[in-house]
Amino acid sequence: MSPRVFSLATLPIARVPGVAIVLVVLCAVFGLTSSGFATPANITNILTQSTILLLLALPMTVIIMTEGLDLSIGAVLTFASIVLAVTVVTTGSPTLAFLAALAVGLCFGLGNGVLIAVFDIPPFITTLGTLGIAQGLSLLVTDGQSVVGIPRSIEAIYSATAAGIPLPIIIAALAYFVTHVLLYHTRFGTYVFALGGNREALRVAGISVRGMLIRVYVFGGLMAGFAALLMTARLNSAHPTAGIGMEFDAIAAVAVGGTSFERGNGWLLGTLLGVIAVGVLRNGLNLLAVPSSAQVACIGALVIVALFIDGMRAER
Amino acid sequence: MADVPLFELRGISKEFPGVKALDDVSFEIRAGEVHMLVGENGAGKSTLMKILCGAYHADRGSFFHNGEPVTIHDAGAARKFGIAVIFQDFTLVPYLDIAQNIFLGREFPGRLPGLIDRRRIHAEATRVLDMIGFDIDPGVPVHSLGVAQQQMVEIAKALSQDARILVMDEPTAALSDRETELLFAMIARLKAKGVAIIYISHRLSEVFALGDRITVLRDGHKIADLLPAETTPDQLVTLMVGRPVDTTYTRPSRPTPGAVALEVKNLSGPSGFSDVNLTVRAGEIVGLCGLVGSGRTEVARAIYGADRVTSGEIRLFGERIGGSVEDSTRRGMALIPENRKTQGLALARSVGDNIVLAGLRKLFPSGIFIPRRAAKAARAIIQKLRIATPSPRRAVATLSGGNQQKVVIGKWLHAEAQVFIFDEPTRGIDVGAKAEIFRLLDGLVHNGAAILMISSEQIEIVHICDRAYVMRSGRVVGELPHSELTEANIVRLGIHQ
Repeated sequence: MSPRVFSLATLPIARVPGVAIVLVVLCAVFGLTSSGFATPANITNILTQSTILLLLALPMTVIIMTEGLDLSIGAVLTFASIVLAVTVVTTGSPTLAFLAALAVGLCFGLGNGVLIAVFDIPPFITTLGTLGIAQGLSLLVTDGQSVVGIPRSIEAIYSATAAGIPLPIIIAALAYFVTHVLLYHTRFGTYVFALGGNREALRVAGISVRGMLIRVYVFGGLMAGFAALLMTARLNSAHPTAGIGMEFDAIAAVAVGGTSFERGNGWLLGTLLGVIAVGVLRNGLNLLAVPSSAQVACIGALVIVALFIDGMRAER
Repeated sequence: MADVPLFELRGISKEFPGVKALDDVSFEIRAGEVHMLVGENGAGKSTLMKILCGAYHADRGSFFHNGEPVTIHDAGAARKFGIAVIFQDFTLVPYLDIAQNIFLGREFPGRLPGLIDRRRIHAEATRVLDMIGFDIDPGVPVHSLGVAQQQMVEIAKALSQDARILVMDEPTAALSDRETELLFAMIARLKAKGVAIIYISHRLSEVFALGDRITVLRDGHKIADLLPAETTPDQLVTLMVGRPVDTTYTRPSRPTPGAVALEVKNLSGPSGFSDVNLTVRAGEIVGLCGLVGSGRTEVARAIYGADRVTSGEIRLFGERIGGSVEDSTRRGMALIPENRKTQGLALARSVGDNIVLAGLRKLFPSGIFIPRRAAKAARAIIQKLRIATPSPRRAVATLSGGNQQKVVIGKWLHAEAQVFIFDEPTRGIDVGAKAEIFRLLDGLVHNGAAILMISSEQIEIVHICDRAYVMRSGRVVGELPHSELTEANIVRLGIHQ
């Protein structure tokens, strides 16, 4: 009958090189230019520092796969972190504080989802609005000041190790595993591909497109709330400006990882590599004493280079 | 049982504001038959099918399943009776694999709550694919499949839901001859299994090759219920259009060909054609035939400058052209693409905007858009080509296929193009409008234009072209002068011996 269709270009594996080449080149460059780069301590450091970004980039991958976007994720992270810090300082209960942070994430995720799915406001506009709201609330609650006095028990979440592995890395690995299962082995994940690829297919199959879209943004909000725990622990305080620009890093990592902004073409492992690439770049530039403003420019360039490589490969 | 239809619609009427889409139409479907539904665009075929599958409600009429009266109030009810529609726009998810697509929304639960059993989905998909004789790995993502294969996946999807009545809306519209054969073979297998197939088609050859029965709709009325063996194509066309139309469009006499307008020498390109030579003179319509995939479209795109060439030359009125679309259009070349909706028109924009689009530079040399001047130019073209639109401000998307095609042609007429390349100019256009498009082509060559025309319908080439080139596997394998231009000769040259 018809010939078997098999083409390397259609497999996700064909996209590995875009981000992998970038990662290898970055490591090589920094390894050669900076003696402090290729040490076990520094590599552990890079991975640990990448965990917060990964917690945001995972749901961002899912959201972008639905042809959506969440610009508010960094600001929601900030606000959740503030609420967490304020709660723990006033009540003394880390559990309650963590739940409060998750609740903030849930509320913003739900708000984003409902506005986008039910009221049909484009994701870019919706999340730009909620970015402003979350950022404004953070400044309002703190009056622009840091919230300090975080108990040791929270700080320990970032500094503790289990079997020699830093706890944040274990948490991030778990988050990656959960997202992987969610995306590739649940109905929800299957429908994420359909949300970006062909919503009509979902409708015909009798699946609620709105319900699925709302869930996607709720996932983003919850992960931001979860990441707030790590960020508060890392800073041992909460800053109303700490998460500014995190959405940029997250979107950049997803793009570098080869997830397309169209047709539900996403790749979770690529995002992991993209996050590490961003982490390596920031770390290497720090070692070379490049100011952080210039680092942002470099991440921008990284996105373009990675997509350029992918684009060249796709053409052949 | 033989005389009780599997499903029957009786006395169906449906009115939309201002239009009576269906008026007292009855339609029966029997198990294991291919029932052809034919009629011009707007005859009511789609409305009838949408009522059958529960997307629309009939104003009047009743439904019978195996002789029992039933109701169809929504798509779920239709599915219950085993009715499935293969739409022209597929409902497939590109980055899910075939198996996941087949069972989308009906995933098998896995061992743990919330998980899905991908292995079982895979296994069940394999079973369904085997049933229709589609030999492919269900783990292949759908975006890497061709149109025909995607259609097979759609069919597999319908059958996995126990479809007993399959509605196919112009299923071969985007298929090559080879793919069409595969589809027909599959239809035969489904028939043997007792599946009823309702097949909407504009291609008369298919209607007669496949159909067990033919129902003709015209202007919302059922005109005839025929057996192919007792009908001739001419009779069928007469029933469809309501007036005797000569399917064999007779070409008026042509002017004596003038100077060579387009000359292609030893053209080769990476998109899969090599050493192509052809000429088109002013006042001539030259056909470019061959099977789909023989390189016709690729050659056309390369001539137009839309695709790269590796060697050879293209001359327009004797001058070598630079291989960019900008250069080609500035020198008076126009490509009327196969897919007018995505490549030929800005669908959401108005008829007027579309018409002036390619001639903006000539119309507004200063670079400032003057609406009154644009409207005047657009009206002139609308009149000249008799485009049926209430106003130049109407969105192109609201026009019929034939009128949309006229807008594309009008755009290039306005831009004063002299050399036209038409890629499947009559695709998806109903019989009546086809003749009008042909008259338009005739008008163009009478005014000294040169036309290169690609068509999969050999009969069209025979009737409208002065001569034709036949392509096979990326090469021009023969040139047929007018005296030798017959369907048989085209097929003979185009098919691999």
